[in-house]
Amino acid sequence: MVSLINVIKKYEVNENESVIALDKINLEIKEGQVVVLRGSSGSGKSTILSLIAALSKPTSGEVLVDGDRVSKLPDNFASDFRRHTIGFVFQKYNLIPTLSVKENIILPLVPMNLSEKEIKEKLQRVLRMFNIEHKGTQLVKSLSGGEQQRVAIARANINNPKIILADEPTANLDEKLSLSFIEIIKELKSEGKTIIIATHDPLFFGLDIVDEEIEIYQGKIV
Amino acid sequence: MRNKINFYIVEYAINSLLRQKYKTIFISIVFSILVFLLSSLFFITNSIKYELKQTLEALPEITVQKIKAGRHYDIDVSAVDEILNIRGVSSAVARVWGYYYFENAGVNFSLVGIDEYEEQYKKSFVEVASNLDFTKPSMIVGEGVKGVMDKSYYKEYFNFIKPDGTLKRVDISATFKAQSELESNDVIIMSKDSVREIFDISQTKATDIVVRVANFNEVATVASKIKLLYPDTRVITKDDLKISYQNIFDYKSGIFLALFSVSLFTFFIIIYDRVSGLSSEQKREIGILKAVGWRVDDVLREKFYEGFIVSIFSYLFGITLSLAFVYILKAPLLQNIFIGYSQLKTSFNLPFVFDIQTLALIFFLSVPIYIAAIIIPSWRSATLEADEVIR
Repeated sequence: MVSLINVIKKYEVNENESVIALDKINLEIKEGQVVVLRGSSGSGKSTILSLIAALSKPTSGEVLVDGDRVSKLPDNFASDFRRHTIGFVFQKYNLIPTLSVKENIILPLVPMNLSEKEIKEKLQRVLRMFNIEHKGTQLVKSLSGGEQQRVAIARANINNPKIILADEPTANLDEKLSLSFIEIIKELKSEGKTIIIATHDPLFFGLDIVDEEIEIYQGKIV
Repeated sequence: MRNKINFYIVEYAINSLLRQKYKTIFISIVFSILVFLLSSLFFITNSIKYELKQTLEALPEITVQKIKAGRHYDIDVSAVDEILNIRGVSSAVARVWGYYYFENAGVNFSLVGIDEYEEQYKKSFVEVASNLDFTKPSMIVGEGVKGVMDKSYYKEYFNFIKPDGTLKRVDISATFKAQSELESNDVIIMSKDSVREIFDISQTKATDIVVRVANFNEVATVASKIKLLYPDTRVITKDDLKISYQNIFDYKSGIFLALFSVSLFTFFIIIYDRVSGLSSEQKREIGILKAVGWRVDDVLREKFYEGFIVSIFSYLFGITLSLAFVYILKAPLLQNIFIGYSQLKTSFNLPFVFDIQTLALIFFLSVPIYIAAIIIPSWRSATLEADEVIR
């Protein structure tokens, strides 16, 4: 399903200096698996998610999703790929604070020019699924952290993608909300989705729903 | 599918503008003011150019004035016959005219005398002459004059005060509108005899003589012959008048240019501000849109709609305001810059001149530039890796 082959990612600090974020990473994740990428801050977990979502390109090596080389996709195709295949839950949620819950959730649908009926159906599905129906018209900035996260997960699921990527999903949540997030993951897994979580939260370690834990340290798989 | 207009993106653009309503309102107001100022200047210039053209076309080829001690004096009517003898002259008419100061309103009227059987030196006077009753003291007045007289309750006649202090009553028989407002607005036309009486000009004298020359190329030669014949006169050709009119207009155009430059300068400051970059908030929003699956062209389309909505609204609003300001309110303040005190004191209506080129020029100076100023920085941001922007 998802393969990283000899992936190196360097970030240019300035003309003469660069930082190696990932160093010859090889990774294979099967369809329907829940995989946890463990590691401290700056270890390269988020970079792996970013490469799988085609939000950035590797310096060398290849990223394959369903056999497609997403690391070589031109920008517009990468956008199409994200829209249809990936649901990304960002660490800071990356919601647009001045839009309402509904408006944030349907953002991935806007360029698709679907009928109003289709949009409504998809929206109702995720609003119900993540129990935020009553928050639809509220501005995102007025929501609590846990509610914002549910909006972010709803947005990630609006197109019913095959792969869910979650970057430090519980970093801004208390324990109760973190446990509620794990329940959501269980539900998504039951739908057959492939879920990759980058985290350093011990709550995810040794969970029965997690099929594989991968430790990342200084850009390498340990 | 992608070629259809995506109204969700249009809706997003409108909502995006509404979310930043104070900024949107501010930009729209500044944009509208600039379009308003630019178009008002253009509209006034076009109208005055039109007036000027009409006025210049109506001018005689040569005007002969008697000069004494550097001042303009009445000329002998007998000079007309002598001038008619010069080869190339097709007509010579002694004009009787002058300015009458109407103290109540503080305005000058131009009194022009015409003869019933004389060849009219202005085309616009031909019809006037046929309507004027030469059997009694009557006059046909310009629309501006009519307005001034009405305000002073002179609705049917007017009492002119002669140099000896006695009154001369002249009936208002009609109003007239010549092709050019500049020319006709302060004009009163009556019989030469009435004008002579009001200004105390004897039958043997005239204010000046206007000469028509059949062949335009001979104007300079005829003018020099008149000068030789009457060394105590000033012989003014149409070209001389054109130059002096044009000089005044060019001077006014200089002021126009200054205003125009200031407007453009302000506009380009806004543009520079726009092009020089997006706020971190705006960059982040573009990054989020890319991250959730918007293509670069979706982002640019949305930004295009934003720029288009603001600029087209401001353009249309500015033009509408300007049309109302120039042609309904008669361009208070700005009109004075172009017309000046000396030409007219009576009210002056700028003729409506519809010039599609002017509208197009203002459009191309504003709308596409503004849209480009929105799109360029957005494109720069949208083509960055989304990861780089939202991290």
